[in-house]
Amino acid sequence: MNDPGRYPRGAGQPAEPQPERSEIDILLRAVARGDDTAFTRLYDLLAPRVFGLARRVLRDPAQAEEMAQEVLVEVWRTASRFDAQRGSGLSWVLTIAHRRTVDRVRSEQAASDRLQKVAAVSVHVPYDEVADQVSSRMERQQVRRCLDGLTGLQRQAITLAYYGGHTYREVATLLDAALPTVKTRMRDGLIRLRDCLNVEVTP
Amino acid sequence: MTGPDIHALSGAYALDAVDDLERAAFDRHLAECEACAVEVAEYRETATRLAEGSWSVPPPRMREQVLARAAATPQLPPNGHRRGVASPVARWRRLAVAAAAVGVLGLGAAATAYAALEQRLDAERTAMAVAQQRQEVMTAPDAALRAGDLAGGGRVTVVVSELEDNGVVILNGAPPPGPDRVYQLWLVPEGSGTPVSVGLLRAGQTGAIELIQGVRRGATLAVSLEPAGGSPVPSTTPLVGIPLV
Repeated sequence: MNDPGRYPRGAGQPAEPQPERSEIDILLRAVARGDDTAFTRLYDLLAPRVFGLARRVLRDPAQAEEMAQEVLVEVWRTASRFDAQRGSGLSWVLTIAHRRTVDRVRSEQAASDRLQKVAAVSVHVPYDEVADQVSSRMERQQVRRCLDGLTGLQRQAITLAYYGGHTYREVATLLDAALPTVKTRMRDGLIRLRDCLNVEVTP
Repeated sequence: MTGPDIHALSGAYALDAVDDLERAAFDRHLAECEACAVEVAEYRETATRLAEGSWSVPPPRMREQVLARAAATPQLPPNGHRRGVASPVARWRRLAVAAAAVGVLGLGAAATAYAALEQRLDAERTAMAVAQQRQEVMTAPDAALRAGDLAGGGRVTVVVSELEDNGVVILNGAPPPGPDRVYQLWLVPEGSGTPVSVGLLRAGQTGAIELIQGVRRGATLAVSLEPAGGSPVPSTTPLVGIPLV
C-alpha cells in the first residue's frame, strides 16, 4: 500500500472498445465551432450520464434536472476549452458535472450541519452502493470489479468523496481515520483503479 | 501549503474532495508542474469512470430546454495560448495590453493598482495560469467595475465578467490586520446561501489580487478580518460588501 507506483495493468478485463468516447471528442470539437447539430447529438450521448451523476450525488431528481441543464449548457458555452491532451471529452464533461454538483451540495448547508446529518445516517449506507446500480454493460462491471480490488479504506474513501460529495476532512471524520491517511488512501486507491481500468492520458 | 505538502492532495483534488482554498492552491501548483498535471489528469479520468454506474434517463422536456438555452448562449472563443511559460518580456507585454484594455473601459484606477500590485507579486512567482485567467477577465467584452471602501481604510476593486464566469478582486491600501489576524475574501450567494471563501491573505498582507471563479448573478463580495490561517465561515462583521452582477 505504500508503493505509489503502478500496479500491474489490466487486472480487470481488457477495456471495451469505446466508440462513444471518441465520438464525444469529435462532437466537442464541432460544438466548439458552433455546430448545433453536433450539440444535439452530444446531448443525447451526455444527458443520461450527466443527469445520472447529478441525481446520484444530489439524491433529488428535480435538483438533478436543474443541475444537468446547467452543466450541458456550460458544455456548449465552453466547448472550445476542451483539450484532448488532458483526457477524454467524456471525462472533461463529467468533471464539470461532478465539480458543480458537489459545489451545490456543499453550498446548501453549512458544512457542520451536513457532517452531523451524514454522520448520523452513514452507518446504514452501504459503501459500495455502486454494486446495486451495475447494469449488464461490461464497462460498469469492470469498474465494480476494480473497486472490489481496493482495500476497504481505499474504496470507502473514494466512494464517499465521489458519490457522497464529501471533502477528505469529512471522509476522515466519517471513517474515524487520520487526515493524512485519508489523503493517501484516495491517491493510492485512484492509482490502483487507474491501473486496473487501463486508464492512460497521453499528452 | 507548497511543494510536496500540496501534492499530497492530488487524489482528493481529483475527487473534488478539497475545499475552495485548497482547490485554488492546487490549481496554482498544477500550473507550475507539468508532470503533476499529467498525473492528475489520469486520476481525473479514473475518477470519472466511477460515474459509469450512474446512468439515468432525464425527463424528455429537458432536451428542448437545454437546446433552447444553448441557442441563446454565446460561446467562449478558443484559448490558444493558455499553456506554456512566457518570457518576462512577453508577460509584461500581455499585462500592458490588459492594463490598456482596462483603460479603454474607463477603469484607469483599477489598471494602475493592478499593474503595481502585479509587478510586486511577480516576485512571488504568481502562477501563469492564474495571471492568464485574470487577463481574460480584465479584457472580457463584458468586464464591469465595482468598487468599495473598507471600514477602517483600504479599497476593494472588482472586475467581473459574466462571460468568463470569473472576477478579479484587487485589495489595496488596507491597514495592517494586526497580530494573528488576516484579511479573507468571501463570495456571498444571493438569498440565504453560505458565504464561500475565495481568498485568504497571509499574516501582515494588506493588498492582493485574487481571481474568483463562478461569479453568479446576485452574488456579493465581502471582506472580513479572520484569525490567522483563515476561517471556514466569516466570524467577524464584513468590512465591505460589494454586489457583483
